[in-house]
Amino acid sequence: MEKIGLYLGCNIPLKAPDIEQSFRKVFPVLGIEPVDLQGASCCPSWGTAPSFDLNTWCAISSRNITIAEDLGVDIMTGCNSCFGILSEAKHFLNDGERRKVVNAQLKAIGREFKGTSDIYHISHVLHHKVGVQKIRESLKYSLDGLKITVQPGCHSLWPTDVFKITEANPYNPTILRELCEATGATVPHYSRLEGCCGMGGMRSTDVEKSLKLFRDKLISMKEEGNPDMIVTTCSSCYLQFDMSQPILKERGLIDFEPIPTFYYTQLLALAMGFDPGQVAAISQIDRRSLISEIQSEKRLIKEVA
Amino acid sequence: MAKVGVYVCHCGTNIAGVIDVSAVRDFAETLPDVVIARKDLFMCSDSGQEMVKKDIIDGLVDRVVVAACTPRTHEPIFRAALEKAGLNKYLFEMANIRDQGSWVHGHDHEGATEKAKKIVASAVGKARNLEPLEDKFVPVTDAALVIGGGIGGINAALELANMGHKTYLVEKRPSIGGVMAQLDKTFPTNDCSACILTPMMVEAYNHPNIETLAYSEVDDVSGYIGNFTVKIRQKQTYVDWSRCTGCGDCASKCPSKVPDEFNMGLSDRRAAYIMFPQAVPKKAVVDMDHCLNCAGREIGTLPKINEKTGRPILAPCERACPAEAINRSVAYNPEGAIKEVEVGSIVVATGYQVMDKGWFKEMAPDSPNVITALQLERIISATGPTEGKLLRPSDKEKPHTITFVSCMGSRDENFHTYCSRFCCMYMIKQARLIKEKYPDIAINMHFIDVRAAGKGYDEYYTGARKMGINFFKGKVGGLEMLSGDRLRVLAYDMESAVNIEYESDLVVLATAVELPQDATTLAQKLGLQFCGANFFRELHPKLGPVETATEGLFLAGCCQGPKDIPDTVSQAKAAAAAAAVPLSQGKVRIEPIISEVHAEVCSGCGICIPLCPYHAISMTTFADRPRAQIEMSACKGCGVCTSACPSGAIVLHGYDETQIFAQIEALTA
Amino acid sequence: MLITQEKINEAVSTIIEYGGRGILNCVQCGACSAICPGVRAGFPLLCRSLIRHLLNGELEEIIEDSSSWACQACCRCTEVCPRGVRPQEVVFAFRRYQGNQLAFSTSSVTSQMNLFETGHAVYVDPKEARSKVGLPEKTPTSAFDEQAKQEIQTLINNSPMGQLGLF
Repeated sequence: MEKIGLYLGCNIPLKAPDIEQSFRKVFPVLGIEPVDLQGASCCPSWGTAPSFDLNTWCAISSRNITIAEDLGVDIMTGCNSCFGILSEAKHFLNDGERRKVVNAQLKAIGREFKGTSDIYHISHVLHHKVGVQKIRESLKYSLDGLKITVQPGCHSLWPTDVFKITEANPYNPTILRELCEATGATVPHYSRLEGCCGMGGMRSTDVEKSLKLFRDKLISMKEEGNPDMIVTTCSSCYLQFDMSQPILKERGLIDFEPIPTFYYTQLLALAMGFDPGQVAAISQIDRRSLISEIQSEKRLIKEVA
Repeated sequence: MAKVGVYVCHCGTNIAGVIDVSAVRDFAETLPDVVIARKDLFMCSDSGQEMVKKDIIDGLVDRVVVAACTPRTHEPIFRAALEKAGLNKYLFEMANIRDQGSWVHGHDHEGATEKAKKIVASAVGKARNLEPLEDKFVPVTDAALVIGGGIGGINAALELANMGHKTYLVEKRPSIGGVMAQLDKTFPTNDCSACILTPMMVEAYNHPNIETLAYSEVDDVSGYIGNFTVKIRQKQTYVDWSRCTGCGDCASKCPSKVPDEFNMGLSDRRAAYIMFPQAVPKKAVVDMDHCLNCAGREIGTLPKINEKTGRPILAPCERACPAEAINRSVAYNPEGAIKEVEVGSIVVATGYQVMDKGWFKEMAPDSPNVITALQLERIISATGPTEGKLLRPSDKEKPHTITFVSCMGSRDENFHTYCSRFCCMYMIKQARLIKEKYPDIAINMHFIDVRAAGKGYDEYYTGARKMGINFFKGKVGGLEMLSGDRLRVLAYDMESAVNIEYESDLVVLATAVELPQDATTLAQKLGLQFCGANFFRELHPKLGPVETATEGLFLAGCCQGPKDIPDTVSQAKAAAAAAAVPLSQGKVRIEPIISEVHAEVCSGCGICIPLCPYHAISMTTFADRPRAQIEMSACKGCGVCTSACPSGAIVLHGYDETQIFAQIEALTA
Repeated sequence: MLITQEKINEAVSTIIEYGGRGILNCVQCGACSAICPGVRAGFPLLCRSLIRHLLNGELEEIIEDSSSWACQACCRCTEVCPRGVRPQEVVFAFRRYQGNQLAFSTSSVTSQMNLFETGHAVYVDPKEARSKVGLPEKTPTSAFDEQAKQEIQTLINNSPMGQLGLF
């Protein structure tokens, strides 16, 4: 079983541990052993060190990377921001001069960045290392007949020159669509597929502007796809969709019920038959009936002897 | 003892602004064999040249060193001055203290002055050892080759032919006409492209001095100015062109569909086809890569016989041909035929291609309604896939909103940093043509800025604004695919600093102009060089725009850089005039700065032969033993053989061992 | 507005120093602003317009504008930029200039404190939620790892961030 360092970030282990639990359940089934990166910190997120000093950003990021380097493993993360931050930092550290300066900072804590661990997004591991075929074979329930609208999220798309794995066309991403299609569900296209959800710095700076952007995206999803659920591989997008749909509804800015939203591995864990109380337990939008529908008996896939 | 005169040039402030000219002159005076050292504000001026001439006539000097600029531009002037004063013009040496001195060391006056002294000392060292040399002349073949049958090539060929020179016009496609034949109308006068081009195609094809070789490619070029030998591959047409009347019956019966290159893939042609209705020559070809060999009629095989009728079973194309020009029983050579021609000069006018939309991932390249401007040209052209009706590709419906996007791949570090020069104008032309015909269609044009520099161009552009065409300053950042194959345009209005979004039915991308892939192969055959922008390099960007580093080889049109039709025609006529010079002179001068083998020293090892980039060296027999010999008219004086010869048997005149060692000595003193 | 070369030089060199290396490559084509979610949401000083103001020599004049803090760092601008400007890096360079002048919102201060104290920019006590989903109460991250926290604090204290007087 291939070992890959599981970089958790902040939101997933602290606010949405059911997503973390879904990683821990799903990956071993798919032949990947997630390894804890003990003592890993914030990536550091865009609003912290990257907003003050480039080298401090690189130092904190590379500290996280060195934990994986010491274990001799690559890194996978389920948070798009973390993926972007760590990938950018690693890219910056290709510059020999900067690497020297940053390693001088790391020396004070007894670490050295070597650049031996690659940074993957969890969707990349699932799509490129595991593959949709293996995912298909691991399912207990089929999502046949259900409609999913996907939200890949910005930081796994751009800038392509710093990522280890990229979409064939980042403006028309297909990785998450193919991962969702592997569950048997259909994934209709919608025009604002590559658009930003408005989470992150924008939401903390001006929530009204963020909601306006979010609403445009949500309407595009609803009108063009009318999905049973929204599935994302970005923990920030997940929080925005789960948190902001009820706000729009309450204010009368949307005339439909909030659409249940899952992180992709939560959906996968449900389709594999794991306990929803562990892998999809925390949300503001009520997902219970959809979860029952997913794990209903009629959806059981007959064992192939 | 040589009597060397040194003349140091101020070149206005070009040199004197950095280098202490007096100090260089004073230093020159101290060098061995220097009898006179002078300076002048502009050595290339009449007075500067007179100074040199007077010193020669007065018997003061017999070797001349001018410390000034580059020999590339100024050596001929001073050589002429020496000649006029009765001195062998090769007893002249130039010390380039401008390009290699003041210009590159502008920040270091002292260092530049010291370097200038070294350069002068080196030139003097060489000048002391110069020997008189004599020009040589070779006769010229009075014929020209024009490669590329677009508007540039056609014009160059017509000019040459009208001057009385036999001209071969080679075109790789089945018809001449080039990209201009694909255009609907032309800016800034909106005249019909075919109406002004077709007569010219016919004129060229029928001209008694022009031999048009369509469906042909240059296979190999050898020789040198005045005497090139060119092998032209006439590709296999599988149709007997001497019989073909261009009726098109073969195409109408051929079942094999192929994306039509002439319509930029927007429609299909057949495997047996005539390129377009006004093709010249109007002849059919069979594209064997896509031929289905109907009825098992592989080329060169005998037909099966119908048992009932006893008649041969023929393929539809050959059955359809009323002129009996298609006979698949003939064992055609798939390689075609090689025609060898001798010419004195060559004009390259191979044109351009536009980038494919697939490069621009942010522009929804998967949408059928995102097209290149050349595709739109075919859509609005009467001979195009919709017979001139403006219908969008996805559903053949008339669009209500059309978007034009400029600078796709031009002015872009990811693709081409240059401006493609004529996109702004043709986009405005296309918009105007559409708006004239369909005033109800909304047209939004997005530019970084409109570049309308040309006679009548800005008026054409401002006229478009008056017609109600919408102009936005700001590059489009992306397209999103909506249902019904519509597109959401993500744009920006720089003037009001807001982003703009709207839905569009058809998006036209002005993709960059670039050299076609096969240009690289041709460049290798011809010895052409590329410029930084990856077009063919001219000799000098300002003063040698049609010449190349290879004498006798000239450039015209977009293969040298993006240009519109007026500029292409101008350059083609200029290239023709330049190409006609050696033809009308009847002989070409060969500079004596070339290599020569001392046969008595040569060991006949042959090392030099493969090294010569100009294929100028061959083996001969001297005193019953094999020896190298250099064809003087092919030698360019590069010196590769001289430096490689293990016996030291090859001398490069004008750069012999004594001269070079004298230079090294002076530089290292 | 008065333009002076000194102010332009200062703005450009400040931005380059803070990591906006591509600012002078900008030809103001506007492709970045066409797709910037921040511009779309209505923030006035992002991408092209921010660069324009900086190229006019404005630093102090726009220091209080919060647009740069709304940048999602989605980097779509970097992907579409035809001139290699990497506009997001310019936006972040300006944000760093603002940050080092302490021109940012108080909410942002909380994130810095969280990072310094727990190693997490966002910190909520996770114990209840984690045990609910069957995970150990404590995360394997810096939040529950004293040595890790010390390492983070050392890195921050030794950096320009340590000079901000926040910790």
